[in-house]
Amino acid sequence: MSEREPGLRVRLRNPAPIALDMELACAPGEVAALVGPSGSGKSSVLRAIAGLWRPAAGEVRCGGELWYSREAGVCLPPRVRRIGMVFQHYALFPHLCAQDNIIEALGELPRARRAARARELLDRVRLAGLELRRPAQLSGGQQQRVAVARALARDPNALLLDEPFSAVDRGTRERLYQELAQLRRALDMPVVLVTHDLEEALLLADRITILHHGRSLQSGAPHEVLAHPADVTVARLVGLKNIFSGELVEHRAGRSLVRCWGRVLEARLQPEFAPGARLSWVIPPEGVILHRRERASRGERENPVSGVVASAVMLGGNVAIRLALDAPGELPLAFSVPVHVARRNGIAPGAAIRVSLLAEHIHLMPEG
Amino acid sequence: MLSHARRLLAALALLFAAGSSGADAPVIAAASDLQFALEEVAAAFRGAGGREVKLVFGSSGNFFRQIVQGAPFQMFLSADEQFVLRLAEHGRSEGRGELYAAGRIVLFVPRGSPLGRAELAALAPALEAGTIRRLAIANPEHAPYGRAAEQALRSRGLWEKAAPRLVLGENVSQAAQFAASGSVDAAIFAYSLALSPRVSEAGSFVLIPAEWHRPLRQRMVLLKGAGETARAFYRFMQGERSRAILARYGFTLPAGL
Amino acid sequence: MDWTAFLLSLRLAAWTLAILLPVGLLVARALAHARFAGKPLVEAALALPLVLPPTVLGYYLLVAFGGESALGRLYETAFGRPLVFTFQGLLLASVIFNLPFAIQPIQRAFEAIAPEIREAAECCGLKPWRIFWRIELPLAWPGLVTALVLSFAHTLGEFGVVLMVGGSIPGETRTVAIAIYDRVQGFDHAAAGMMSVVLLAISLGAISIAYFGGARGGGRDV
Repeated sequence: MSEREPGLRVRLRNPAPIALDMELACAPGEVAALVGPSGSGKSSVLRAIAGLWRPAAGEVRCGGELWYSREAGVCLPPRVRRIGMVFQHYALFPHLCAQDNIIEALGELPRARRAARARELLDRVRLAGLELRRPAQLSGGQQQRVAVARALARDPNALLLDEPFSAVDRGTRERLYQELAQLRRALDMPVVLVTHDLEEALLLADRITILHHGRSLQSGAPHEVLAHPADVTVARLVGLKNIFSGELVEHRAGRSLVRCWGRVLEARLQPEFAPGARLSWVIPPEGVILHRRERASRGERENPVSGVVASAVMLGGNVAIRLALDAPGELPLAFSVPVHVARRNGIAPGAAIRVSLLAEHIHLMPEG
Repeated sequence: MLSHARRLLAALALLFAAGSSGADAPVIAAASDLQFALEEVAAAFRGAGGREVKLVFGSSGNFFRQIVQGAPFQMFLSADEQFVLRLAEHGRSEGRGELYAAGRIVLFVPRGSPLGRAELAALAPALEAGTIRRLAIANPEHAPYGRAAEQALRSRGLWEKAAPRLVLGENVSQAAQFAASGSVDAAIFAYSLALSPRVSEAGSFVLIPAEWHRPLRQRMVLLKGAGETARAFYRFMQGERSRAILARYGFTLPAGL
Repeated sequence: MDWTAFLLSLRLAAWTLAILLPVGLLVARALAHARFAGKPLVEAALALPLVLPPTVLGYYLLVAFGGESALGRLYETAFGRPLVFTFQGLLLASVIFNLPFAIQPIQRAFEAIAPEIREAAECCGLKPWRIFWRIELPLAWPGLVTALVLSFAHTLGEFGVVLMVGGSIPGETRTVAIAIYDRVQGFDHAAAGMMSVVLLAISLGAISIAYFGGARGGGRDV
């Protein structure tokens, strides 16, 4: 790891009650999401990056500059780090109008230029015309945009967002996602987003880091983490439901064979597991293919499984199905099909159906 | 908001600049029994030479304590000469001063009191029977007139009966206050106060024989650091006009002691 | 009607405020931000004058600074006059006595500012002095006004301490509260009544300002 590498590199350790043992990296122009349930320490990590909190040990670097290091005895204050931070409840200065809020961050500009630049920033976040309103006179979404503009005012080295969308309603949130997505294309700084909402992270982030009880369990591109969770905890945290146990039989012909439910399933090749090893495995909903009644579907031969529909719930344009497997004592298999498919195939509670588990989607994990 | 602050600062500046007023007029501590008499004397003094004095009234014992602690009085008129003599011992005064008067006490009965009119003979039976629920005197601890009242009551064997009914004034003026306002059934305080119309019209009074208590020898003295005006006032106090005023207020004058 | 006494009381109040404003601000802000083991004890000590009988404070001041004490003699040697029975002595007593009135409202006002606001200010690049001046002070302003007004009114009404250390010297320590007491003893009820009414009006005005100011400031937090 070169010290001159651009972007944010974070390594933190702290004892209870704010237990931390995590790592994070974020390149310029990248959005890294720190995801985890409440109490996982995500806000503390963000505050440590910002310089608002000093952990017991670790290192924070940005663009090669050392911001915090326990060994070197360095801990720069937020002002010197030049970070832009958007707080969970925005922390706008209540006694100043939107424009003045931003002007406070423009102290380095000559006085004459400040108002114009503030208006420019507000325009960029599409709040032109509302410059003179006080925070109390703005809606939640508008306040959030002022907070973002203020965070960007100093041309910061990094942008930090602490659950910035949690305080707004769903409709506003969707619009704000769009705006942030557009905005960040123009930014060339590392952006760290802290959220407990996985979907938000999946939508906005280039990499996600799963944080659990202060430990970073896995980092990677969102789809990568979803498809190949490192262990059962991560799988559960990212919302995967089809987690089962099994035993590795052998690796053969580019596949790993797993004994489960009294039979052998073909999974994607993961040579790190030794034959005879107990393991857990997971398959995402999109890896479960329904055997259609009237037409043979591709992949019918792969890992066929039969069962009885335990529940079929319509959600949007799809039907979420829970299939009680023929294997006794196991939790149901969860997957979904479009509504018309469900109807045409007679999917209803009690119906007996067959599905295929696509081998490449079966992901093996250490026993959990 | 800033303009408000500026205006406030200007107002404050004026107040600070006001400074202490009347730095020349000496402050004179006087026993409370002189409340009315000395005001008249001071007025006469002003008329005679155009000079002002500032009078502060209180109990002689309190003044003694304050002077010992450095209170900036320039002259002290005590109702008990012992305080003046002790001040001389402390080195706080210029010499042992002069006797300026002897005081008397009265039994005062406010209008509407169950005691009716003030009569010496009625005092003992009233205390006995409990007709007097509250009797006001000055605090004997530090007020000479209070001590005289106590001595008088003791000499008649009435102290034990009176003690539970006593209301103590900070000084003899306050005792007179209690009486004049009708808050007590009877009071013993200075003759000089009773003679003032403001007090006398609030009830009736009778002089208590001088034998009933030790004489109230009132002594005055100039204090260390006394200025010209204070000295002039001291001399004025010994003059004819002042003595005439004191006599009118029932004081016995030194020549007659 | 004793105008000297009124002016004296106003002077005392003005000087008390002049000293207490910076002291109160510093201490209150420090307390609002600090967290240490003995904090409740320190706060209790500062709040002591609220429950302490004025005469007790007066007594201790006399003992500590009276003409017979070492400190008192030192002061007299240095300044030529004693500390007690002077305006300066009153001022000292007044400042001590008004500490809780000055500190508590300001401390509450600073505490009411969410820590995120200060953190946001730091992240905006503001230096500590500017954070105080531009962000915290305007938000704590109602608390400041309350503190000033309460201290002012309280000083005007001070009696017990003034009685103990003052000596009722006209123009020097005879404040209006003492003057009223004096006039009553002098059987001058007219003057006493007049001064009492004026003092009542001033006190009522002051406390009204404090309550109105507090009500307006309450709507500030977002």
